[in-house]
Amino acid sequence: MNTMDPIQVFRTEAAELFEQIESGLLDLLHDLSDQDQIDAVFRGLHTLKGSGAMFGFEALAAFTHHCESAFDRVRKGEVQATSELIAAVLEAQDHMKALVEKPNGDHDDMSQKLLAKLHAAVGGKNGHAATARPAVVVPASTPSAAAAAKAASTNWVIKFRLPDNAMANGTNPLGLLDELRELGECTITVDASTIPGLAEIDPTTLYLGWTITLETEQPRSAIEDVFIFVMDDMQLEITEIKAAAATEPAPKQAEPDLVVEPVAEKKQAATNTGPADAKSNKSAENVRVPAERLDELMDRVGELVIAQSRLSQLANISANIQLRSVSEDVERLSGELRDTMMVLRMVPVGSLFGRFRRLVHDLARETGKTIELETEGETTEVDKTVIERLADPLVHLARNSCDHGLEPPEERRAAGKSPQGRILLSARQQAGEVIITIKDDGRGINRDRVRAKAEASGLIQPNAALSDQELLQLIFQPGFSTAQEVTNLSGRGVGMDVVKRTIDTLRGTINVVSHPGEGSEVSLSIPLTLAIIDGLLVRVGNGRYVIPLSAVEECLELSVEDDMRSRGRSFISLRDSLVPYLRLRELFRTGSKPDPFQKVVVISTGSERVGLVVDQIIGDHQTVIKAMSKLHHDVATFSGATILGDGDVALILDVGHLVLEGQKQEAHLRAAG
Amino acid sequence: MSANILTVDDSASIRMTTKIALTNAGYKVTEAVDGVDGLNKAKSASFDLIVTDLNMPNMNGLAMIEALRQSPAHTGIPIIFLTTESDADMKSRAKAAGATGWITKPFDPEQLVKIARKVLGK
Amino acid sequence: MSEAARKIPDHLWGVSEELEVLTFDIAGEMFALEAVMVQEILDLLPETTVPGAKPFVGSVINFRGKVIPLADIRLAFGMEATKPTIDSRIIVIELDVDGEPTLTGIRTDKVHEVTSLMKTASEPPPSIGMRWRSDFIDCLVRRGGEFIILPNLQTIFSVGHERHAADPSKN
Repeated sequence: MNTMDPIQVFRTEAAELFEQIESGLLDLLHDLSDQDQIDAVFRGLHTLKGSGAMFGFEALAAFTHHCESAFDRVRKGEVQATSELIAAVLEAQDHMKALVEKPNGDHDDMSQKLLAKLHAAVGGKNGHAATARPAVVVPASTPSAAAAAKAASTNWVIKFRLPDNAMANGTNPLGLLDELRELGECTITVDASTIPGLAEIDPTTLYLGWTITLETEQPRSAIEDVFIFVMDDMQLEITEIKAAAATEPAPKQAEPDLVVEPVAEKKQAATNTGPADAKSNKSAENVRVPAERLDELMDRVGELVIAQSRLSQLANISANIQLRSVSEDVERLSGELRDTMMVLRMVPVGSLFGRFRRLVHDLARETGKTIELETEGETTEVDKTVIERLADPLVHLARNSCDHGLEPPEERRAAGKSPQGRILLSARQQAGEVIITIKDDGRGINRDRVRAKAEASGLIQPNAALSDQELLQLIFQPGFSTAQEVTNLSGRGVGMDVVKRTIDTLRGTINVVSHPGEGSEVSLSIPLTLAIIDGLLVRVGNGRYVIPLSAVEECLELSVEDDMRSRGRSFISLRDSLVPYLRLRELFRTGSKPDPFQKVVVISTGSERVGLVVDQIIGDHQTVIKAMSKLHHDVATFSGATILGDGDVALILDVGHLVLEGQKQEAHLRAAG
Repeated sequence: MSANILTVDDSASIRMTTKIALTNAGYKVTEAVDGVDGLNKAKSASFDLIVTDLNMPNMNGLAMIEALRQSPAHTGIPIIFLTTESDADMKSRAKAAGATGWITKPFDPEQLVKIARKVLGK
Repeated sequence: MSEAARKIPDHLWGVSEELEVLTFDIAGEMFALEAVMVQEILDLLPETTVPGAKPFVGSVINFRGKVIPLADIRLAFGMEATKPTIDSRIIVIELDVDGEPTLTGIRTDKVHEVTSLMKTASEPPPSIGMRWRSDFIDCLVRRGGEFIILPNLQTIFSVGHERHAADPSKN
């Protein structure tokens, strides 16, 4: 791009602008009040004028200036757009094209004619059709009259104080002082009298004022120029010190002193802000809030939601359109408020897991077994109330494992296991659910005993045919646990059936996997419409995707050599091991060209690893999970979606599934030789 | 260490000229094409100065300046806007939104370099 | 098609004579769906492709903070995908998918108006001779010399959702 001729670039740009302006004008003919089109045409003319002047197309700039002014009046509502005006501007367009093609041609006659038409179309004001040559205005030197005042230097006292937010708005007061120093000899005194106590200081606020005596040959205008950007909002006194005159900055001299009072400024955010800036859900600050306050707030929100739904019902039967519209707004706002509340109430599961260390420790001592507790996924966030309701069931399941599942050390040794029993508590999110599992490496569930007990309790017919899972699920039936099972530890009135009922009320499911001699794993899946994970945001082609950070092992760049070497084989060589990889752009069929430096995100599900090749790694992202609808349940690659700060959707990759895909691919290619 | 400047303007030719002038003056220049692009770029890298046009599609300069000033990360960064000589109203609105200074269009690119130096102090 | 299957479904009109609907165009023909289902009508929004999804619901959109599928009915009928134009709109509806109320967007070429259709003007779809699969159609309604098609969204979505365009990347 650097070797292109700017004039050529301007010509190309002008051609595009002409197209834009023309189609905008034609659209306007259909709807003369379309403000968006009016703005677009104005913008086009404005850009054309500005760029034209920059590149020396003076005639074009001058002529376009008039069209732009005319359209500006339409834009501001001073004048209505009429088909006559549009026709005039369209004709003017053709002329502008000529001005671009032949900037040095003789266009004056045509220009005058067209401008006259234009003026007629906007109501005939602005008599002059003179081509105003836009001057190049140079802020720093308005040679105000006296080019004299040479040689002799003058002494000045300059006293200034900038508004509080000057630094926040990018003004560097030290830079101003430097500029004054460049004008001549300075003595600078600072006025620090308004600095507040340490506790109240805001580092971005300017509390200082300055007084400078300056001896310079430069005229007063040079001093004023230093402050040109901040002139309107500051206190500034420039006083010439006549020989033997006191340094009273009294504003009554013959020399016009410049005393400018600070303008009260409070920026009104009346302008529309675009989508890119709206929500920022990351805050570096934390606020401690007593849990009861959150609960109260939640209650209020709950009541609000109820009242809102009543409002909606009434509004729907009402014929009052305004009422309906407001009711819709209220519905949306209370939904958003509820979502925000849900996020506030999210608590990492680790807070629950913490209780278990003590519990397992106590249980181990009571049973005389050695038990090790491991936890995983403590940062997975769960709604506060869900955590509370899960506490008892989990405790019961843990007790069960310790009591019945895990064998005493001698039995374990005899079975060839380590004498220390192991319980793993883990939490993870998947497809809009939180899955909490308790796994032990004990005896496993004895199917025969379960069967016998179920038959004895009358739950099943003798010899009834049951799948393994159905058999195991019988454990959760009320009436299953008989008195025999109630030991000191497990018998708190919290039987397995109560566990199931609790999970049911949370609309969750329980799954049991058990291998005789090896252990059992009970999984509780609780659906949540909202769960938050730490994610890694990546780009593949034109789409952005989130990889759960908990599954990410490392990220590397795929060097061109590795890339080439890996083709035909499905492995990337990573230090000493071979890791199967998936090229996501192929898997997703993006059809776009790959970025030159592909990146590899190595993910793992504990045992298996796979590398995911992506175009770009964007960064960490706090991911609020939005479940996908049932219509997308079949797409196993993704476990959910999230909404990014700019409103776009990013899909969340299902790590488990991708690892499986990686393995499948590996197997395929191995089979193929 | 050269300063990083972000220029925001929907006109490719103006972007090009300013980039040439500023790069020749020893600055590093990144370009953005409208307010949305400008915001995104400002958020993803650190700039010492932002020069922006006001009249742009998708998000105009005023809105972008306001948005930038709302983020603590951009407090104190000088923002210069481009304005036309006749528009005093725009000047005060831009200043109210948090702009630091301005340059009048059409401008001599060397003038822009001077203002950049003034505002950056180097 | 048996006679029974070609009756006008009761669930549409029920006991009243008029049915309030929203009319819209797809592939040059006019369709209507019950106004009560309609949540909102939107201009085209940025879409995110879902790789591996059935083409019928190949993208999702951000609708008021929810991620909902964007369905292209043309694809359900085995036609070419909709080409977006300046009149294209998305109609967001709520319908039952596998027993769960689900929000989804439907691409349309143009949205007309909310209006009432008379039960007396309705007829069952002919079993042959129509461009559109008759099991995807509840009935046709005569209006001003034209026919308005009332699609059977339930069927379209459950069939479309089960066995559409085998996509090899999905397996």
